Amino acid sequence: MKIIVLNCGSSSIKYQLFEMPSRNVLAKGLVDKIGLKGASIKHKRSDGIEVKLEGEIIDHQGGIEHLLAILISEKYGSIKTIDEIEAVGHRVVHAGEKYSGSVFITDEVIEALEECIDLAPLHNPPNLKGIYAMKELLPEVLQVGVFDTAFHQTMPPKSFLYGIPYALYEKYKIRRYGFHGTSHKYVSQRACDILGLDIKQQKIITCHLGNGASMAAIMDGKSLDTSMGMTPTEGLIMGTRCGDLDVGALLYIADKEETSIPYTNTLVNKFSGMVGISGVSSDMRDIETAANEGNERAKISLEMYQYRVKKYIGSYAAAMGGVDLIVFTGGIGENDTNTRTKILEGLEFFGISIDKEKSMKSRGKEELISLPESKVKVIVVPTDEELMIAADTYEIHEKILEESNF
Amino acid sequence: MSETLADFTLGKRKQPKGIIQKIGVIGCGAVGQEITMAISGNGLDVVFLDTDENRIKEIFEQIGSQLDDVINHWGLTTSEKRAILSRIKGTSNYEDLADCDIVIESISSRKRGTSIEIRKEIFRKVEQVVRPDAIISSNITTLMISDLAAALKHPERAIGMHFILPIHKTHIIEVVRGIASSEEAFEQVVKFAGMIDKKIIRLNESPGNIVTRMIVTTINEACEILMEGVASVNDIDFAMRESSGHLFGPFEMADRIGLDKILKYMDNLYQEFGDKKYKPSPIIKRLVRANYLGKLTGRGFYNYQSGKAVDQTVTCAVIK
Repeated sequence: MKIIVLNCGSSSIKYQLFEMPSRNVLAKGLVDKIGLKGASIKHKRSDGIEVKLEGEIIDHQGGIEHLLAILISEKYGSIKTIDEIEAVGHRVVHAGEKYSGSVFITDEVIEALEECIDLAPLHNPPNLKGIYAMKELLPEVLQVGVFDTAFHQTMPPKSFLYGIPYALYEKYKIRRYGFHGTSHKYVSQRACDILGLDIKQQKIITCHLGNGASMAAIMDGKSLDTSMGMTPTEGLIMGTRCGDLDVGALLYIADKEETSIPYTNTLVNKFSGMVGISGVSSDMRDIETAANEGNERAKISLEMYQYRVKKYIGSYAAAMGGVDLIVFTGGIGENDTNTRTKILEGLEFFGISIDKEKSMKSRGKEELISLPESKVKVIVVPTDEELMIAADTYEIHEKILEESNF
Repeated sequence: MSETLADFTLGKRKQPKGIIQKIGVIGCGAVGQEITMAISGNGLDVVFLDTDENRIKEIFEQIGSQLDDVINHWGLTTSEKRAILSRIKGTSNYEDLADCDIVIESISSRKRGTSIEIRKEIFRKVEQVVRPDAIISSNITTLMISDLAAALKHPERAIGMHFILPIHKTHIIEVVRGIASSEEAFEQVVKFAGMIDKKIIRLNESPGNIVTRMIVTTINEACEILMEGVASVNDIDFAMRESSGHLFGPFEMADRIGLDKILKYMDNLYQEFGDKKYKPSPIIKRLVRANYLGKLTGRGFYNYQSGKAVDQTVTCAVIK
């Protein structure tokens, strides 16, 4: 069966068409600049045929209509008719406390996601636009929502609550939700599959290190803790986000610099992190080049980055009472061999022994980088959130089909 | 012919018309510049029209330095500044407004006497160059959009929009329908407001709308309190900020808007309603005569140094 996966942003839609259960990608592409000048769709078929089409795309529904038409076209298409698409998987950022797994999208689900707009004002509205558009265009087709926050809903109160008045949690649901859930779930499961381990028996630390970065402590296959909080600003030092920061320091800055709330938001989310410390760039490659050329701030920023990840590894190991497996993913986790290796240095006391040569070479592929005798296994697993969304969508589709047959 | 997206459609629904991607702003003074930055800051293209090349250059410098100020307060990154500036074009030629979806007239209302004829002429010139479905708007405060619409062949396309200063801090636009304004035009303006992250207050046409009418009467009342010797400029502002959560006190507000503009709003409202509450306070008249126009001239109800109020220029009468 064919499943289309949509990731709708404010002015773009990333899409992939999967053949399931074989997991083959038949086509993928990007609808860009929706509602703006220079709108286009870049489409690539599995056999390498590529095309960029330009024109007017007034809204998300318009964009989806065009991409569906491309998918059934003789020249660039992968299917003959729209009816071949049996399910749609949507990436949705925030499902609040409502869902701890992927769900079949009903009117009730849509209503719940509408209620979560306050928690993800930039992301949930475009995600919902994709859902509404598909409801209109393919009303008979099953739609599934796969949420970034869902995987972390298993966190216990001791890890999701903040040390602030409980009434604020009750009133506004101020708590830690965590993000990148689909990625943490995928790479932890995939790592266990590769190593032939039962996820239910493992203590796993997953490091999703990209421009946005988060870690998760996964015990018995469930998220016990994660570094991002109510917003993606908390936790690790990221490309442009500060990560953990003393709230008192922020209030002091706001007072001294006379910054408004929106400006303070920009300060911690766009001016901070690696770009803010190094003054070079938010891109690790530029920072490493600068550090190699003797730029002191670049060197410090790299040390800070590595130190923060290392601290989280330590704290998560303590939280779980040990660690069996560490998984690296995301642009930096998969490709930045230097950062990855440095993070793992000095953790031998934990039972982590790295094959340094392998770690310094392994880029962008599934590979074990710990030595055979290492008590803790360390593995690189490139993330594939779209595949995870397709897999969840397929599973729900099959389940519903099965139930309806009874 | 090369393929376009139009060759790939399911034909499930008609693509609605009315994409909004380019906005014209006529008159790029302090307010025009704020409007221009707010629009470009939200990803839309803006073309502003002003008198000549030198003025256009000066406007770009002013916008650049205002954006730098935001950067210095951590509100914007340098790459965002570049992106904002790249979406702004300046011109002195009406022809360059031809492909604008909405054109907003925002000429200075500082000069005394009515500007209605000048604004009508602008409306006429804009209508000659823009598409038939383009919206023609004016950032009006005390004037009536129907008066300006009367200059158009298609008055249904005219809608009033009042941006509330400071535009980057306030979240509303007062949207005023004239007698002839069409529902389509109104819907386009609502859509535009959403695109630049503003909510709309839907108004029936009335001089001064809500905000200007409330502000000028408050300022007049504050002048009365000052003249009676009840409290100082500073204390009245302080009391109003603290008691009602206003961003600015009435005198700070007057200085920010410009006393010449306030005077003009009051004149217009007094003329329109004939109610004494709009009659400009003698203090305002005296300050305007002395060219104490507010922040812009460095003196108003307060003296300003580097844009910050340092002391009061008017002291209250005290009986000893």
